This record gives sequence, structure tokens and C-alpha cells, in this order.
Amino acid sequence: MKGERIVVAMSGGVDSSTAAALLVDAGYEVVGVTLKLTDATGTSASIGGRCCGPRDIEDARATAALLGFPHYVLDETATFKHAVIDDFVAEHAAGRTPNPCVRCNEKLKFGPLLRFARAVGARRLATGHYARLVRDGEGPIPALLRAQDRDKDQSYFLFGVPAALFTAVAFPLGETTKDQVRHIARRFGLPNADKPDSQQICFVPDGDHKAFVEARGGAGRPGDIVDENGARLADHRGTHRFTVGQRRGVPIDAGDLQRRFVLRIEAATGRVIVGPREALQTHVLQVSDLRWTSGRVPEAWPLRCGVQIRHRAAAAPAWVAAPVGSNCAVNLDTPALGVAPGQAAVFYDGDRVVGGGWISG
Amino acid sequence: MIYLDHNATTPARPEVVEAVTRAAIDYPGNPSSVHTAGRRAREAVEQARAQVAVFLGVTREEIVFTSGGTEGDHLAIRGLCAGAGARGRRGVVTSPLEHPAVLGAVQALGQGTGEPWSVTSSRVTALGDIDLAHLESAVGDDTALVTLALVNHEIGNVYPVARYAAIARARGAVMHTDAVQAAGKLAVDLSALGVDAATISAHKIGGPHGVGAVFVRRGLDLPPLLVGGHQERERRPGTENVPGIVGFGVACDLARAGLSTECVRLERLRRDLVAALASIAGTRIWGWGDEPSGGQGQGRVPGTVMVSFAGAPGQLVAIGLDLEGICVSTGAACTSGSVQPSAVLRALGLGPEEAGQGLRISLGWTSTAADIRHLGEILPAIVERVRAAVSEPQPFSGGARPTAEEAWS
Repeated sequence: MKGERIVVAMSGGVDSSTAAALLVDAGYEVVGVTLKLTDATGTSASIGGRCCGPRDIEDARATAALLGFPHYVLDETATFKHAVIDDFVAEHAAGRTPNPCVRCNEKLKFGPLLRFARAVGARRLATGHYARLVRDGEGPIPALLRAQDRDKDQSYFLFGVPAALFTAVAFPLGETTKDQVRHIARRFGLPNADKPDSQQICFVPDGDHKAFVEARGGAGRPGDIVDENGARLADHRGTHRFTVGQRRGVPIDAGDLQRRFVLRIEAATGRVIVGPREALQTHVLQVSDLRWTSGRVPEAWPLRCGVQIRHRAAAAPAWVAAPVGSNCAVNLDTPALGVAPGQAAVFYDGDRVVGGGWISG
Repeated sequence: MIYLDHNATTPARPEVVEAVTRAAIDYPGNPSSVHTAGRRAREAVEQARAQVAVFLGVTREEIVFTSGGTEGDHLAIRGLCAGAGARGRRGVVTSPLEHPAVLGAVQALGQGTGEPWSVTSSRVTALGDIDLAHLESAVGDDTALVTLALVNHEIGNVYPVARYAAIARARGAVMHTDAVQAAGKLAVDLSALGVDAATISAHKIGGPHGVGAVFVRRGLDLPPLLVGGHQERERRPGTENVPGIVGFGVACDLARAGLSTECVRLERLRRDLVAALASIAGTRIWGWGDEPSGGQGQGRVPGTVMVSFAGAPGQLVAIGLDLEGICVSTGAACTSGSVQPSAVLRALGLGPEEAGQGLRISLGWTSTAADIRHLGEILPAIVERVRAAVSEPQPFSGGARPTAEEAWS
């Protein structure tokens, strides 16, 4: 609506900046806000231009100045440390492979920003996520759909956001491709139009997860690398150095020279169980901490849907069994390879996110 | 736009803007040059020095021009301590109420030299006064320097710096005062205060940004922070900011001439402001208010109000006001980039949440009764909106709809 005050969450990247530009162009009264999530002052990370660093705050500020709207910084470093970084370290310590971006969306990106929007008298919050929200008539909670641009689709990262929050959210880039976004950004002369997409986790700018986890007391037990029969093959310096499906650091089977992969990680004993590629195949997933993105629990069980188990993977056809408490089993039609506990399993009905949870086994 | 953040920067007065502009044209030379253009520029700088000296009640030789408050605090504190440190005194007494520039300079002492410096922080009362008995016991024979502000930048309290200076002198220590927030708000006579050094900044008194001055008592050495030039009697090398210094001099004259009438006018506005704020439930004003007596302080400057509204984070209220075209601050502007709860309110004994509710409204020469009226009209709704947003379990959920999490509980 023309003249409506809207808060735009700005990471400093080209996507959220373009979202802001589109809203300004459409006549909204845009208020920009950047969350300060990590304190990288004076470190090399503050110069490297990673997500949420001081450099990104400057980029967001420069974009706001160029487009002529006010921009503010909200300091959420304490919440981010508690809800995302500590969780990341604890999950690694427990032998799982966490997805901090899902956690950040769930705990930080929407709650505090919607509170901010409400406090400054805005009626909605817009972000630069590639996803769509569709109001299909039933109640105030919109359905979360995949983005038009399948390569950039971020609905997988958004399934954990409490559904009611989406009632006041807009994703201006949901129907736009990344190429179009870069084109629009250049047309508006945005300072970050050609800034590369961030690939690393924002708080581990050098990509060295092992060192990051070790420095924060999250190192797993050292122990043995064993085969499926429990025979010891080698020792290792900590379970946090492994992810299910990983091949690096795993000794080759001397007998038939076959490569072996991490099958399971036992944090309690420090054992890393390895085996041939076929043994990675998983038919049944245990999924816990379920949530239903529409805000309603499905009524017909088992639920037929597509299940996506990592970012950019295709959704695999599956049956979701009736939940027990907030846990359920997922039966995949064809087995998946390298299912890592701690990752999100997101249920899709076509483009629509039905719900999801965290893979526990 | 309604500008109520004069403690951050007081807009330059029109006469100052004119003087700066004219100086940039009239004095194109370098004050260090031997030729006519250089000599003229030098004369302009020296005239401004006289204006600043008169404004502060000191002599011209005692004024060193700087780039502003932060540099001035560093030059004075680090410079005075260099000499004292050489004589074996390596203690500094300060307070948690000080501006970050002072605390930064104090923390930098001895860095890189291996000299261990001790820093003692004076106790502070809930009203924002320095505990005098504690101060007296804290200043000892090993104290090199006592540095305490004349006026607090957030709550506006005025401090009995003459008494602090007497305590310092009795123990053989030197006294520095950050007078940045005092200049232009009350009559500052540094000679009468008995301090050894003081800092002021032009943009807090209607002068331009980027220029300030340190007063250092005659006879005291002041080694420079930077080296490689002879300017300012070898105390501050670097070519002088001639237009800025000229504007600073003009601002000092204007501030001095208008001080008594301006104080009365601002005090009246402040009372109107406090009355408007008091009509909002859960309001508290911090520091010295209208108490007739009770502390050993000397009251407060007119025009500075540190207020908090229970349950309303100051940052959100400040942003709400900004979106309506009203400029206020949540505390020292230097820390507002990333918002930390006011260190001054923390020193008064407030917890992080309460300290985060502080909102600083500071008046100055541009402020009018209409400004205060307008603020009083729109502030209650903004505070109410912020309180509602903060207290809702989930914003925009309307409170009745089950969330995904609740569906499982």
C-alpha cells in the first residue's frame, strides 16, 4: 500500500538492498534495519565483508542513504550468541551437524525484527529471502512456498519460523530471479550490486568450523574410527571433526581399496563408524521437534509429501508417519545418501512448505 | 526537523558559519609561513586564541588548539601523565561517569611501555554525585592525575571540580577536567576552579566540528601526541585548522555574551519539558532534578534531561521520534552506532535493562517552546507503542492465534 510504513531487514547484501529498493519504488515508507549479530570489531572478519559484519552494516547504511530512507542498527549479539552460536557448538559436541541459518531464522530474524516493526509503527516486515508467502483464504497465516527462482530458493531455511509471525511478513524477491535482482540493483546504482553471495556461515568467516568449535569448548571426544563390525581402523582427534557422509580423513579399506564414508558418530564413546557408500543409504529418518508451517497439524496420516534433507537438495517423495509427541518417522521411497543428524528435514506439498523438524537419526 | 540533541552537537550559529566561510577565503595561507598570507592566517589564529582564553578565564599561552574533545582529553591526560610517570607516580583517579574519550585515554596509559598504571574509579551516588570521602581516600602519594568532568554529558550534573582540584593539589597530583559539556552551559572560569588542565570542544558551543582546545596551566609540560611539527608551541604539531579555529573564537564570544539570558530561557524550557514528560506514566528523570539540596553537587546545567520510561527501550523510543522528525539521543552519541545501555546510568546503579531505557533530551540555542510542545504531543503515543511491542508475547499475532510451537504444547 502506498505510503505504508514497512521495515526492511537489511543484511548489507544485494538481495535485501534490492528488496528495499523495490519497496521504495512502490511508494512504501521504508525503514531499514540491520541486526548486529557478531562483534567482529577490529578483526580480519570485519574487513572481509561477510554477512552481518561492520562492513555489511556500512553497505546497508550506504544503500539506505542512496535510496533516501532511515536506517538503524539493532544489537542482537547476546541473543545470537545464546540461540545460534552456543547451539552450533553444542550440536557439534553432540556429534550432530547443525544448520545455524535455520536456527537464526527461527530465533532471530523474525521475532526481534517484527517487534521492532511494531515498536516503530510499521505494519509489516520485509526481508530479502527467496521464498513466497501466499494468502489462500484460510485464516490469517499465509502459506510458505518455494521461490520462483529454484536455484536461490530459501524456503528450506524458513520452515522453523513460528507460522504466526508470517502474517506480518513480506518477501519482495519471491517472484524474482537472482539475475533480475542483480539487474535491478545495478539499475538503482546500489553499492553492493555486484557483491558476491556469502558462502560461509557468517560467524565462521574463514570456514574453519573445527577450529571455531574447538575454541569454544565444543570439541568432541577423541576416539576410534571403526568399521561396521566394530573393528578399529585408526584413531581420530575428536568427533566434531566428522559429518555423516564425509570421506575426508577416513582411511581407505586396504582389502579392496574401496573408499569409506562416515556412517554414524557416537559422541558418548567417541567412536566414528565408517563403511562403504551403499551403507550410507537411509530409508527411514527419525525427525524431532516437529513444527507445522501453516500453523495447523495435518489431519490425514501417513502424510504423503516431498522431504528435503539439505539446502539445494531436491525433495524426495516420502510418507510421513503420524507423529508421537513432536517426533515422527519419515519413510523415503528411494533411499537417501548421507543423512546427517542435526540437519533439517522439511516437508513439501509441491511448492508449499507443510512443516518439518530436525533429523535425530 | 526538531533538533533536541544539543549535547551531541549544537548546530553552528549563523555568525559562526559566516566567519568560517569568510576565513576560508580571507586566510588562504599557512600560519607557519613567513609571508604575508601566512602572517595573516597566524594573526587570525592568535585572535581566536585570545577569544577562547577570555571565554575560559585563562591566558592565551595556556590554550592549545586541537581537533576536538577526544583529542583534547588524550593530549591532556597522556601528556600530563608522561611527566608524572617519569617521577614515579603511576596512579590515575577517575570515575565511571566519564566520557569514553577520558576512559579511553586513561586505559591507554602505559600501553606499549611496560609501565604498570593503576586506575581508581571513584564511587558514585544514585543521584550521580562523586562520593567525596571515597575520592579523598583514593587520591594518594602515587596519584599522578585526577580527571573528573565538570558537567556530565548524559545527566547534566555539575560537579564541584574546585574541591576535587584542592584534593589533588594536597597530594601533589594534577587535576584535569573534561569541560566539554560545561562550556556554553555555565560560566566556566578555569583559573577559579584551580584545575591544571581542561578540555573543550567547539561543536558543543555553536562552533564548527573538528576543532577544540586544551587549557594547560602555565609551567606544566605537555608533550605532544604526534611529532614532526612545531605548531602550538610544540604541543600539537600539524597545520592549524584556520577556518575552524576562527569559527571557534566567534562561538566563544557569542556563548559568553548570551550565557546568562540563555540559561534562564533554557531552564524555563527544561521545566516545561519535565512537566510534559511527567504526564507519561512510569517516567523517571535521572541525575539532579529540581531538588533544592541534598547532594554536594552544584545542581545541573539547564537543558539536559536524562529520562526513562519503564518498559520502553530508549533506542526504540528514539527511533520512533526520529521517524517523526525529532532528534534525541539514547546516551553518548559515540556509543550509539551499536547500542549499549548507558554507562552513566549503569554507574548510577541501574541494571542493563533499566539503563537501556535512558533517553537523553538536550536543549540549546535553537530550541523553542514550540519544540517542547510538539514533543509533548507525540511522545506519549510513541512510548505506548514501544511498550506494547515489547510486552506482546508475539508481535502481530493478535495474541489469540496458536503458534506452531503452541500446537505441540
